[in-house]
Amino acid sequence: MLEAKKLVKYYTMKEKSGWFARKKQQIKAVNGLDLTIKRGEIVGLLGVNGAGKTTTIKMLSTLLAPTSGTLSIDGIDALQQPEAIKRRINMIAGGERMLYWRLSARENLMYFGRLYGLRGSALKNQCDELIKKVGLAESADRPVERYSKGMKQRLQIARGLINDPDYLFLDEPTLGLDAPVARQLRGMVKDLAKKKNKGILLTSHYLEEVEELCDHVYIIEKGHLLLHDTPTRIIQTIVKDRILLVVMDRLTQEDWTWLRQELDNRGIHTQKNETDEGTQLDMTAPFDLTAQFIALTHQRNFHLLRLESKKPNLEDAIIRLAEERELL
Amino acid sequence: MWTAFSATFKRQLVTMRRAYPWSFFIGHILDGVYITIFAFLSYHFIFQGELNERFVSYTGTSDYLSYVIMGGVFNSFTVSLLMIVSRMLITEMREGTLEALLLTPSSRLGYFLGAAVQGLMRSGIEWVTIICIGLFFGLNLVSAHLALLIPILAAFCFAIFAQALVLGSFMLAFRDTYITQNTLFVVMMLVSGVSFPPEFLPQWMQCLSRIMPLYYGLDLMRAVMTKAQLSFAILQNLLLLVALGILYFFIGIIFIKQMEKSVFEKHFG
Ligand SMILES: Nc1ncnc2c1ncn2[C@@H]1O[C@H](COP(=O)(O)OP(=O)(O)OP(=O)(O)O)[C@@H](O)[C@H]1O
Ligand SMILES: [Mg+2]
Repeated sequence: MLEAKKLVKYYTMKEKSGWFARKKQQIKAVNGLDLTIKRGEIVGLLGVNGAGKTTTIKMLSTLLAPTSGTLSIDGIDALQQPEAIKRRINMIAGGERMLYWRLSARENLMYFGRLYGLRGSALKNQCDELIKKVGLAESADRPVERYSKGMKQRLQIARGLINDPDYLFLDEPTLGLDAPVARQLRGMVKDLAKKKNKGILLTSHYLEEVEELCDHVYIIEKGHLLLHDTPTRIIQTIVKDRILLVVMDRLTQEDWTWLRQELDNRGIHTQKNETDEGTQLDMTAPFDLTAQFIALTHQRNFHLLRLESKKPNLEDAIIRLAEERELL
Repeated sequence: MWTAFSATFKRQLVTMRRAYPWSFFIGHILDGVYITIFAFLSYHFIFQGELNERFVSYTGTSDYLSYVIMGGVFNSFTVSLLMIVSRMLITEMREGTLEALLLTPSSRLGYFLGAAVQGLMRSGIEWVTIICIGLFFGLNLVSAHLALLIPILAAFCFAIFAQALVLGSFMLAFRDTYITQNTLFVVMMLVSGVSFPPEFLPQWMQCLSRIMPLYYGLDLMRAVMTKAQLSFAILQNLLLLVALGILYFFIGIIFIKQMEKSVFEKHFG
């Protein structure tokens, strides 16, 4: 288990104020964050730009020393034994960095493998296996500078797995990837957690991805923890509304007046639009209103053309959360 | 440490074969050649073969051309090796590979040594090229005391390597290569006795000579490669060179460690 307790990171920045005078300014990027990752689990870390996600990941991967707080991985103190920690973790960031462009995929992996102390046939096998796994077998001996973005990203994944880490931190791994490549990557991440029993921390701005993959999610704001729960429960607690979208044969004025009255009585908020197809109703209520609405249509024999119940997703939840925070 | 050494050596070798840094190569050779030609022309046309007596008394030789060509040869060798080693980490930073490197539990010393030994191959080629050119312009290699040359070269390379570690940490701190390295190179060329003995300089500038491995290195190389007799001063300078190297080495290791800790705090991205 990875356990971070009360992690704090302040950046000090020197700001110019006048010609020579400089003011020191402190940025509280992470401010007392508690976080745990168990093996076999995918944990999401969400927050708007500048919330402190990358800073957190850099602290977990020992690249940044926390201003205060503790970090331990499987009982090993990361601040006292960074070397031992480095063997057990790896980090992958989105974008095209963290690879040597002049070297080929194989040379990159061999180099990093050696830096992790692998050698001989163990090293060679590990490289071959990873190259195959990320589907770069055909271009393994071409310099990376001639790779496409997706290929570079896949090679990065291979680099992140070269030391067979127990914990893997992914900082926006699907940034700028095509949908099919991103999907493939998601499949791999899932396998790593569920089949290989790795603990994974994921940040991403694609919320569907987080909803699909993560067992639980930390939402942070300005370095503070805002919420920590499973995606489903986050959605349930934040977005209480259910939305029902209906298209039906054009309603007469009289029918509409009646229907509206009935819906109002039940506390269902309705919006009506006339479209080419017929009358379209958008209904919102803090409960699942499908059954009630259908019962009403039976009373007057309305003819339904289309009925769609929209389930709120994580994105709705985050947007709602952001709106609520604005109001405060 | 051994794995980091051999891994980095191989990586640098592949990179060099794939994309030989021709501009640096030619630049370093030209540096040496310019010094040689400049000395050759000024000696023949400005001084018209006349040497200042003080020169002879300071250097113990009247062979000005050999003096300067040796200076040019070793100056460009030093610059080349300093650049290769000191620019390693900041290049990783600029190319976005520093994080991946620092994530690994590898020995940084092994990493630098791998780069340095591979770099020696490159600097060695440049070195031999300049010496060959120098021979045409009147470089006089009197005697090469091989038994002395090898320990001197080894001590010299070590001291330059150590100096490069310090230079590299300054580069990381200032996030700059150009100004940092060239400031050092200009001062180094001025005070180390490259084209004139530092005794011509004011006293306070001569102090700077004492912290330049190139100063001791040049003195030793000239002694064993262009002078007929050996003197006891060789041993003293050799010891000073090694001591200076050890000093730079420890400062460099400490500085690099410090810089690695703070590099991601000062650096966005
Ligand atoms: N090296 C640094 N020096 C000073 N301030 C920094 C540094 N790195 C980040 N910050 C600041 O710390 C805060 C958190 O940054 P961080 O990169 O962790 O955010 P993030 O959640 O990863 O954002 P994004 O979604 O844009 O990647 C921001 O306000 C940022 O400006
Ligand atoms: Mg980020």
